[in-house]
Amino acid sequence: MNSGGTQNARLPSSVAGNRFLSTSRMPIKDIAVYLFVMAGIAYIILRGASEQGYNWQWYRIPQFLYTLEDGAFTLGPLLEGLKITLHITWISMILTYAIGLATALLRLSDSIIGRIVARVYLEVARNTPLIVQLFFIYFVVAPVLGIDRLFAAILALSLFEGAYASEIYRSGIVSLPKGQWEASHSLGLTTFDTYRKIILPQAIRRVLPPLTSQTISLIKDSSLVSVIAVYEMTMQANAIVAETFLTFEVYFTIAGIYLFITVILSQFVALLERIFKVHQ
Amino acid sequence: MAEKKLGDYIINVKNIYKTFPNGVKALCDFSTNIRRAEVVVVIGPSGSGKSTFLRCLNGLEEIDSGEIIFDGIPLDDNKKNRLKIRREMGMVFQLFNLFPHLTVLQNVMLAQQLVRKSSARLAKSVSMELLEKVGISDKVDSYPNQLSGGQQQRVAIARALAMKPKVMLFDEATSALDPEMIGEVLDVMKTLAKEGMTMICVTHELGFAQEVSDWVIFMDEGKIIEGGTAEHFFNNPQEERTKLFLSQIL
Repeated sequence: MNSGGTQNARLPSSVAGNRFLSTSRMPIKDIAVYLFVMAGIAYIILRGASEQGYNWQWYRIPQFLYTLEDGAFTLGPLLEGLKITLHITWISMILTYAIGLATALLRLSDSIIGRIVARVYLEVARNTPLIVQLFFIYFVVAPVLGIDRLFAAILALSLFEGAYASEIYRSGIVSLPKGQWEASHSLGLTTFDTYRKIILPQAIRRVLPPLTSQTISLIKDSSLVSVIAVYEMTMQANAIVAETFLTFEVYFTIAGIYLFITVILSQFVALLERIFKVHQ
Repeated sequence: MAEKKLGDYIINVKNIYKTFPNGVKALCDFSTNIRRAEVVVVIGPSGSGKSTFLRCLNGLEEIDSGEIIFDGIPLDDNKKNRLKIRREMGMVFQLFNLFPHLTVLQNVMLAQQLVRKSSARLAKSVSMELLEKVGISDKVDSYPNQLSGGQQQRVAIARALAMKPKVMLFDEATSALDPEMIGEVLDVMKTLAKEGMTMICVTHELGFAQEVSDWVIFMDEGKIIEGGTAEHFFNNPQEERTKLFLSQIL
């Protein structure tokens, strides 16, 4: 979906404007191909499971999502976990964007110290595993700063994804023609105003697609914070699997939920791109 | 051309040197002075340092050594001085460099509001007036990529004029235009010249130079080879390099 959005953004507006027409051009053929591929995947999964003698018990799954007792609706552990996952990713996303932008601007700044700080952070965050960073922040940094488990998870995720986001911002900023800077400077605008009014508004449109991919990574990577016992969705799933041995059912269910969230996100961004790209 | 009165010196350029990181010597012991209301045309073969000279004047390129003084303000490492000078110098680029995410009107209004701190109403009325002057008043809400090259360049001139600059720099303002659009941009430049704007124009338009310039500078290899009035320059060049260049392009 995300790559589809990207391609559309590059098409001339006359073609992109016909997006809905073009998808409905050959609906029967498209649907047939889709069903064929899906049937193939389903067959492989079922076949693999049946060869291991796996006993599917999908009927036991709904209770982990929600329960309805006496008309009272209660969230099950998976959806309770989803709430934590969304909470973590929402805050991390904002922090990721902020850290990424700050780091990119530092790397492009005139300050040597700023550039070194940004570079060191970038290399450490990108070149060590997230799981190590999580442990480091939880066991070493968190006690010093007195922050709780949940915020340690958010901090680790934001710092990790922020490093990638900063490279995305940076590439977006340096991809703008030098003439934009020169025109702005020749009018007497300060560097701050040039970024605020000229460079960033244009760069944001260019980095929206890769930044969306990064956000999707963030949502998926949030499953890793289960290692420091934050009860987000994956942690809940692990607990249920350990108790019930419904391995495939539970993991497929949460995979479906992650997919659902990321699809909604990329569709939302595709919409944003269409609104933004008009005059680019 | 009709005699017009030139004022005192507004720009003093003394012995400036500029060498690019790749070793190209763009400007070599370059000195000149520009008077108020003077129209100076800089010509020369490509790579002779014409554009670099222009870009050094408003600090888009840093000089290695030498001195540039604009209206009493030295262009040095002091950032405030640099901003002050840029504010008083409008620049028009070969590739227009309009801001593609802003409308024509917003392009012209932006710096007035941010730099001159004009109110939106004042900025708008000034912008509309200028856009009318350059003949774009019917396209104020269009975006730059909806305009032709000639129209874009005229908007770029209006954008620079909106800052009420004391000097306008034109860096090959017509070189990227289709032939049929050069005239409309040159007309705007001629009008400005006749109104007494101080202008420094790097251009290949010799007709323009003959018609409106007070002084022509011929540059090669980062130096001034010859300078003089247009009449002197085109009819009676002294230097061999100048004669050779003129014979090649005339």
